[in-house]
Amino acid sequence: MTSSWYPVASGADLVSRHVFHTALDGQELALWRDDAGLANVWENRCPHRGVRLTIGTNLGTELRCQYHGWRFASGSGQCASIPAHPGFVPSQGLRVKTYPCIERYGLVWTSLGEAEMDIPDLGAAAWRPLRAIFVEAPRATVAAQLPEQGGLALFLQPVSETQTVIHGLSADPSFSPRQHDEALTRLRDRIESAAP
Amino acid sequence: MDQVALDEWHVVAALESLPVGQEVATRLLDTDLTLMRSPGDIVAAWPAASGKALPVCVRYGHVWTSLGMPAKPLFDLPEFAEPDRRNVMAGSVAVHVSPPRAVENFLDLGHFAFVHDGYLGAEPHTEIKPYTVTSDENGVLATGCRAYQPRASLIAEEGFEVEYVYRVPHPYCAILYKSSVLDENRRDVIAIFVQPVEEERIVAHMLASVLDDVSSDDAIRNFQLLIFAQDKPILENQIPKRLPLHPRAEAWAPADAGSAAYRRWLSSRGVRYGTIPA
Repeated sequence: MTSSWYPVASGADLVSRHVFHTALDGQELALWRDDAGLANVWENRCPHRGVRLTIGTNLGTELRCQYHGWRFASGSGQCASIPAHPGFVPSQGLRVKTYPCIERYGLVWTSLGEAEMDIPDLGAAAWRPLRAIFVEAPRATVAAQLPEQGGLALFLQPVSETQTVIHGLSADPSFSPRQHDEALTRLRDRIESAAP
Repeated sequence: MDQVALDEWHVVAALESLPVGQEVATRLLDTDLTLMRSPGDIVAAWPAASGKALPVCVRYGHVWTSLGMPAKPLFDLPEFAEPDRRNVMAGSVAVHVSPPRAVENFLDLGHFAFVHDGYLGAEPHTEIKPYTVTSDENGVLATGCRAYQPRASLIAEEGFEVEYVYRVPHPYCAILYKSSVLDENRRDVIAIFVQPVEEERIVAHMLASVLDDVSSDDAIRNFQLLIFAQDKPILENQIPKRLPLHPRAEAWAPADAGSAAYRRWLSSRGVRYGTIPA
């Protein structure tokens, strides 16, 4: 299930100098954008003492862990500095686990394994991301109830075995984002109230 | 259940926190306990399920018990008996973490400038110089540890390079000895006694045994709680919560010599509770 691309955030969630927290199939992720605009999808765990990187600091070119100030470079996740040993050059193997990251249609996509399929080709329409909707239900349950509608593309992020996020894209200017948001919120309420 | 952990003495309360003549519930190694303090500072402890009395000792201002058969008395902390020291029970804080992660954090020098900025460390004073670590069957000892501290204690008015000794005499207890502001030949003693509530839940009981003739007990306690409140969110954001004992489970720097020795010592003693064995 994980060997495919999933949206895990909207590109707009990765605001300057912020670290965004989400999860895919139970794997916690730390997402951040560097000052040059590159988005990173990293395991949410410093390789040194396991502290969540989402409580760290986005320095613009590096992410700094909150515990010991170790810095990790945008792109590679390579450890760039260990403040306890100022002259020390960290070894090449010392890096945060990183995941591939592609921004397309205004969403941030990643894959935990070797993706077998490409990100769906939605053509050249002007797709706008809708507000992500978190649903307290498994992916399969949500997938079975998604509406089919022209100009609307819906993708599911399996957060955990029991939690799913719906990422929507709209290319139909006759529907406002608010209308979509209200419809998806009603869908969420239906699914969650039907849960055992 | 981990027999090594069962056969240890474990802290279950600060004595002064127990009302006389009233049962108090607590939890140790996944087992619900009842504590009862009688006049004369006699404390009884028993599992809520069986009611069978457990061994109890009251030392260093805290109550200790065991669910197994302790082979030895509790470790020595002779400074506690020195007449001119202030012995302050500096707080008991529940933390969602494993016992050995909390001990390892207590031994850690490299986090001072980042977690305790302005108190126990500050940038750019981040370098950790080499220190000496030894261990034997009785525990781990780290000596010659040095750190520049802007405010090393409640009565420190200016920054200075503080020298530390760390001692781990028990799988879930650690003691530090740091330069005293009042007397350069003596040291303040801070201890953390970790109550292993569950494998990933603790109560951290702190003891300050310090040379300080001006501060109130509350002020000494508040300083320790302030420092520990800075550590708590770090501890609760470590993944995994249990301490991995495999030498390559987590990355190392030379500053981590103390925690490396602690992990090896836990492995050699066969401590499993709260760890991910190698």
